[in-house]
Amino acid sequence: MNRFGFQSLYRSLSRHKLYAALNIGGLAVGIAVFLILSLFVRFETSFEKWLPHADELYLVQSEWTVPDSPVQGAYPYTMSGLLEQMREDFPGLLGTRIRGGERGGSVIQGGVATMEDVAQVDSSFFQLFNLPMLSGEGKALADPSVTLISRSTARKYFGDANPLGRTMTIAFDEPKLYRVAGVFEDLPANTDLKASILINMPATPPPGAADYWFHWGSTSLRTYLRFPDAEAARAFEKRMPEFVNRRGAAYLGEKPSEIMAISLLPLTRAHLQPAGQESASRKLTVAALGIVGLLTLLIAIVNYVNLATARAGLRAREVAMRKVLGADRGALIRQFLGEAVLTVAVAAFLGLILAELGLPLVNAAGGLSLTLPYAIVVPGLLLLALIVGVAAGFYPALMLSRFPAASVLASARSPGGGRAGTRARELLVVLQFGLAIAFIIGTMVLSAQTRHVRTSDLGFRRDGLLVVQSLADSGVTEAQARQIVTALRALPGVKAVGVSDTAAGGGGNNNTDSVAIPGRPGSGPSLRRLTIGPGFFEAYAPRLVAGRLFDDAYGADNNSGWRDGLPRNIVINRKAVSTLGFASPEEAIGKTVGGKQPRTIVGVIDELRFFTPRLPDDPTYYVYYRDSPGESFATIRYSGDAQAMEQAVGDLWRRMAPQVPLNARTADSLFNEFYQADDRATRLFAIGSGLAVLIGCVGLWGLASFNTQRRVKEIGIRKTLGASSTDVAKLLVGQFLRPVLIANLVAWPLAFVAMRAWLAGFDDRVALSPLFFIGATLAATLIAVLTVLAQSLRASRAAPSWALRHE
Amino acid sequence: MIRLENIQRRYVSDEVETTALKDIHLHVEAGEFLAIMGPSGCGKSTLLNTLGTVDRPTGGRYLFGDRDLAALNEADLARFRAETLGFVFQSFNLIDELTIEENVALGIAYRRDAAGNRRDRVAAAMDRVGIAHRARHFPHQLSGGQQQRAAIARAIVGNPKLILADEPTGNLDTENGAQVMNILTALNNAGATIVMVTHSPSHADIATRRIDMLDGRIVASATRAI
Repeated sequence: MNRFGFQSLYRSLSRHKLYAALNIGGLAVGIAVFLILSLFVRFETSFEKWLPHADELYLVQSEWTVPDSPVQGAYPYTMSGLLEQMREDFPGLLGTRIRGGERGGSVIQGGVATMEDVAQVDSSFFQLFNLPMLSGEGKALADPSVTLISRSTARKYFGDANPLGRTMTIAFDEPKLYRVAGVFEDLPANTDLKASILINMPATPPPGAADYWFHWGSTSLRTYLRFPDAEAARAFEKRMPEFVNRRGAAYLGEKPSEIMAISLLPLTRAHLQPAGQESASRKLTVAALGIVGLLTLLIAIVNYVNLATARAGLRAREVAMRKVLGADRGALIRQFLGEAVLTVAVAAFLGLILAELGLPLVNAAGGLSLTLPYAIVVPGLLLLALIVGVAAGFYPALMLSRFPAASVLASARSPGGGRAGTRARELLVVLQFGLAIAFIIGTMVLSAQTRHVRTSDLGFRRDGLLVVQSLADSGVTEAQARQIVTALRALPGVKAVGVSDTAAGGGGNNNTDSVAIPGRPGSGPSLRRLTIGPGFFEAYAPRLVAGRLFDDAYGADNNSGWRDGLPRNIVINRKAVSTLGFASPEEAIGKTVGGKQPRTIVGVIDELRFFTPRLPDDPTYYVYYRDSPGESFATIRYSGDAQAMEQAVGDLWRRMAPQVPLNARTADSLFNEFYQADDRATRLFAIGSGLAVLIGCVGLWGLASFNTQRRVKEIGIRKTLGASSTDVAKLLVGQFLRPVLIANLVAWPLAFVAMRAWLAGFDDRVALSPLFFIGATLAATLIAVLTVLAQSLRASRAAPSWALRHE
Repeated sequence: MIRLENIQRRYVSDEVETTALKDIHLHVEAGEFLAIMGPSGCGKSTLLNTLGTVDRPTGGRYLFGDRDLAALNEADLARFRAETLGFVFQSFNLIDELTIEENVALGIAYRRDAAGNRRDRVAAAMDRVGIAHRARHFPHQLSGGQQQRAAIARAIVGNPKLILADEPTGNLDTENGAQVMNILTALNNAGATIVMVTHSPSHADIATRRIDMLDGRIVASATRAI
């Protein structure tokens, strides 16, 4: 490409400003979308990879295969004492546990507790998680009176002063004084490890944990192992069934390995790994967004090639002239490839600017903190410019250089590629709009689903509900808890306060229990067991399907002081009716189940959905303890302003239990956590597909303008032969409508398969209605018509004699 | 059949005013074969375009039969062209993306009075100009003479009252030119009214009447002695 080459490119771009803007702008937006979404995918797939030798670390999973149980599949938690038993059986094993973590404990200062990410870890922790230390050493953790804190925690509690050697009161199982022996760098954003304060794991089970520490079947913390290679990990995993059978026999029946397996999950894969019955839709979301980014770039490239080849014909005369003046084919190919690479490079640069400008918006929409790593992005974009430039420029370059000079110069007609060229361009429009329509369908389904879960029936009213989780904190005594509940009930605006071991939004205890069915062999199906106290049903007001709710008038309703063999009353949910083998709720009333632990069903209620909409409703039974809040959450049903209520509860809490930080959240905000990831994905998807559609439109617009220009003469002929303006406009719009309509054949199956897979990740989901598909098609058609209508109308109004003279 | 009275056509662009037609008075009777001659830029094509209603005069009256065409709007003019006129151009003006058959069919595509079988009419028109064997071909696969015959088929397929031909032999060699003229003569003999612009005196001689133009005016008119 010589000086004239540059000049001719510059003039060609500045002379056809709109064309240049579409061509370069479309590609730039495509590159920006691709950049941002690949940053997102890179972030989501980079979890824990920042750790030194991350590939040698494994998360121990408990895998359950229990018939009829709500607990199925692999969970990233283990029994507390598992590592201790493993060490006994496999000497030399390198592992650590993390107990607590996110909001796992608190720091008490001047009698006031502040919730912190306190994690109790084995002293071998740093042999696995070699966190960068700013001062002190990881091995100091061997001392049980020592703590290591993060940089921002040090700043928060000690300011600019040197924290080493200072002491702080940390409440984990119980409040204790610790000496700061080291400061580690804050953990990066791409980690699921949540710890800002590390303390030592006690050698013996801590108070209150003794009864479950070595109880097989319980899961309470995360256990990590380190192996030199995958081979060693596999070999270890192979020995697990025998280990489970030997150690678990006393708890899990004769053949424990049949219902429970221990498996190793490479830590770097843990972030996107679905837990238990959750389907892989998190992985799917990340993959889908990656694909959106890639396809948007593809659409933009397709556009570029499309417009470039379409325009190539218009430059035939220039090519012919250059040939006459002595340019050979090689020189021409070099010129056009050079132009293409240069144009794409300009687009890539603009794309980078757009990505940088758009990143704050995307971060805000997606709750992310992505930044552009220039060291990777810039060489990547240069490579992209080269590849896309060559790919996009190759066909036009070859086609143009092949034009026979003489015939081009002699004829008035410009070679536009004929029917084959038209077909190829039509195919590209089909591909583009196919993807665009699929994106529109996807966006509609995603937002319908995320809207649905926000408004779907949970079995209780989600507004006016405040869950006080800190009532279950080990720092609150039972007597204190009772006083607090009584005081809460007296607050103005409070209608009911219910206590239970888990509440709306999940958390707390998750217990399941086998319930034997009379006349049937075996221990029976597993049901979720919810322990509730007074006020629970008043606070949640479930719909009663049959029988009655708990009532203090019935002595057998109360489980306090329960002894083996004594029959007690339970309330079950609708799902448990069929699990327990009853034909109808009415039939279940009065029946006794449970074998050695007889329980009589007195009521059936509609499901109360406390957990993520991704999981199915569990068959559940409720047991009632009249006087024991135990380790319970309090749920407050109130009327009036949420903020005022939170304020009142906060004041009361700080007065009655200052040693424990208050953790009280509205049901709305707790449920929002379930929805957050999907909301985020939906917003990113909507932005990505919106831009993909926009780029598609830009392409269509450009193509329409090119086509209309190329058909000016044809329009003139048709008008001379008696076609009205309407006839011509119809013709031009119709020409673009056909590929857009054919695009549905691509879009519908694609969107159907993808959306069915995504929705399968939700138990509570919207139906994949045909309206989404029809709606998207109508939207795309409307967009396409509007895109080409203006120029079609303009072209159709041109005077035929002018059009006939037009060359 | 046609009466042009005091037709004026002026173009204004960039403050330059060009007068293409001045004080044109012209009568064309049904069944006439009129040839228009004159040097390049004298207004021949503008006159033909005015007759074809694809160009509107800036002054004067255009009566077709007893209809005043100045009173018609764009849509009505389009219908008038579809139902009344046939066009033949120097550069054929076939549509590249359509086959010969489809191009010919375009001649009646915009007629609302779809009398008879369209396919038969297209076949008959192609037969008449001897192009039927090329029906499925595209224009660029045909010789110039064949393309012009296809264009004539398109012009006559609708049985127009008036055929307007703008240098129909201008892009053809002698032999093909003669062929085209034979077809036009045959059409005229069969009763068609034809107005033709031409540079060729010999072709003009074939017409029944000839007018000469210069600088936008009709300067001479001569009727061939039969």
